[in-house]
Amino acid sequence: MAPPLELSRRRFLTGAAALAGTAFLASCAGLPGGSNARTLQFWHLLSGADGVTMSGLIDGVNAAQSDYRVRPTVLAWGEPYYTKLAMAAAGGRAPDVSVMHASRVVGYAPGGLLDTWDTGRLADLGVDASTFTDAIWRKGFIGDDLYSVALDAHPFILMYNTDICAEAGVLDSDGKLPPITSPEDFLELGRAVAAVSESHGLSFGYLGDGAQMWRLFYTLYTQHGLEIELPEGGQAQIDEDAAVAALSFMQQLLDDEIASRSADYQSAIAEFATGRSGLFLTGVWELRSMQQQNLPIDAAIIPAVFGTPSVYADSHSFTLPHQSAPDEESRDLVYRFVADILKGSFDWAGAGHIPAYLPVTQSAAYADLLPQAHYAEAAELVRYDPPAWFTGSGSRFQADFGAAVQNVLLQGADPAQAIARFRTGVDQRLKTPNPAAPEGARA
Amino acid sequence: MTLDTGSGRAGLADTAATRTIVTGDRTGRHRHVGDRGEQRIAWTFLAPFLAAFLLFLVWPLLHGLYLSFTDQSLTGAGGSFIGIANYVEALGDPVMWQSLGNTAWFTVLSTVPLVVIALVMALLVQRGLPGQWLWRLSFFMPYLLASTVISQIWVWIFNPQIGAANGILEAFGLEPIAWLQNPDTNMLAIVVATVWWTIGFNFLLYLAALQNIPETQYEAASIDGAGEWRKLFSITIPQLGQVTVLIVILQVLASLKLFDQAYQMLGGIASETTRSIVQYIYESGFVGYRFGYSAAISYVFFAVIVLIGVVQALATRRRKEHS
Repeated sequence: MAPPLELSRRRFLTGAAALAGTAFLASCAGLPGGSNARTLQFWHLLSGADGVTMSGLIDGVNAAQSDYRVRPTVLAWGEPYYTKLAMAAAGGRAPDVSVMHASRVVGYAPGGLLDTWDTGRLADLGVDASTFTDAIWRKGFIGDDLYSVALDAHPFILMYNTDICAEAGVLDSDGKLPPITSPEDFLELGRAVAAVSESHGLSFGYLGDGAQMWRLFYTLYTQHGLEIELPEGGQAQIDEDAAVAALSFMQQLLDDEIASRSADYQSAIAEFATGRSGLFLTGVWELRSMQQQNLPIDAAIIPAVFGTPSVYADSHSFTLPHQSAPDEESRDLVYRFVADILKGSFDWAGAGHIPAYLPVTQSAAYADLLPQAHYAEAAELVRYDPPAWFTGSGSRFQADFGAAVQNVLLQGADPAQAIARFRTGVDQRLKTPNPAAPEGARA
Repeated sequence: MTLDTGSGRAGLADTAATRTIVTGDRTGRHRHVGDRGEQRIAWTFLAPFLAAFLLFLVWPLLHGLYLSFTDQSLTGAGGSFIGIANYVEALGDPVMWQSLGNTAWFTVLSTVPLVVIALVMALLVQRGLPGQWLWRLSFFMPYLLASTVISQIWVWIFNPQIGAANGILEAFGLEPIAWLQNPDTNMLAIVVATVWWTIGFNFLLYLAALQNIPETQYEAASIDGAGEWRKLFSITIPQLGQVTVLIVILQVLASLKLFDQAYQMLGGIASETTRSIVQYIYESGFVGYRFGYSAAISYVFFAVIVLIGVVQALATRRRKEHS
């Protein structure tokens, strides 16, 4: 018995060594340009379907040239990501380039945690004001300095199941939702769809999720033609009537007939994805997983029930975390990498996001991309979080908003009181100087 | 008599002292070298612990105290000495008091069942139930799980639409509850999850203590005609006094640390009814980037824990003197 065993082990070892050698050679050959390619460290917070799409984009640009090779590091979304990024930048050993939410940049830039983009170098690569919508391009600036370059806009939208909506008789002759211009119309739509749906007419998950409540609220609030202003050291400028109207409307939607009063994020997804509801208030980033369910879906911007079309959104934006001694050659390659990604960002639309780079969304291929093209106008209408160091995606501001208003939606508490509570909390934060800013630490 | 004994003892001590001196004289040099050698060995053995102790406990403790007097930010900004401004702010911060209150409330809500139910479980296993190993195993098993795992399990159980908790309520014809989202029930939900998770440890301590009670006492009581209840209240529970004190002390300290399961089960959303002081320290430092302020709150909390520790120590000592 022993010799065959020994033989097989030897053969196994030889085989393994050969395999390893081949793999090593193959991996060398697989590197574009071999060891000449410079490695760029790239941090982002995109996981799930977004993460897969981003990997595809990175593989694409890596394969297309031989000067750089991007090595992505994916960190958990939200607070943990921003804490780590801040610490890396504070230590001066940050990655070469990172993705941030455009709404978070304002809290980072004044503290010197971010380096600025050179608009001239970007323009040389075909990236300038003319290749973005005004709202998205301007969001990258703080004062006269460009701190972030948007990859996309990812608005909060209305998805709908065309089969269920057709059965409810609410679609027009094109098979699309007709314009809805008042809260009453929207409620009526919800009831009509609810009548033919298995569970509720509309799915909206919000429990324990301040961001979700804020996204819908701020869409409705800004439809009044207003924005919340948060002057540093001052008091929050929140229009009481508009805020109460928006919250009351949300309360009316969540009446357990039109929409469930007790749905969290996941259960709302489950409800719509299994075809038990006809309408879905959600971020565009859920589009791909809905499409994978083979649902007959279409999408539109959230109807301007309060008059002014407006869309809550944020952007994934490229930023340069502060490096104490940036390597100029790497910086150059980072500019190229960002331009390459932007130009190849058509696939990013597959994940639901609206590519920010206009040549992509103005292409014929994009016009044929449905339902993305049906909400592309959102790029013109985006409203970001009110700028302040403590606001933005994954911030405590959104969590605080949720804590203040959840009971309005869940238990019918008074909207005006909730807004007052929210305002008190925000005013408190406005008094606290940006802890990331050296001179603002404490007067 | 007393005097006699006294002088006797002194005499003994004298002899011992003399003997030491004599030996010392005779082999002084040798002993000295031996001492040093032994000392070196002792320090070598102590060194790894001391290094870790100084590096990871003493130094952070002192550095944290220093930070609490500065406006240090996580991003490297700030760092100048600002005296007691952070403490003044903390003591006037309603959120700090609220989170401290939440932590105290959780400690009360969780400690009582964690002691009482653990005792009941241990008694059942020790006295009545067949298949002791199975009970021991299943009661202790949850304690081995990571907080992330139990959080996920209980998030599903408490899911407002498809959770088991509401399934049970509905089976009895009751209205479903949004356990983790409703401010009236979310603390309770966290207490329930925590009790399920950590009760195994207290249970095990009680079970061990129960097995240490001499069987002879029960036999004697039986001969005197005591019933089961009589034996429980007159032998078992008094005999468990020591271990109960231990369990309460450990439990209070564990409950005061409330953070991970609450943070995970609530998805990081800090509600007024559940934000614990540890979570507020975390939020101030790592989300709000205010290291100095966060350090000041930690030291306020530290003071509270010291206070509780002193009260417990005094209570225990009085108990001992009493008995």
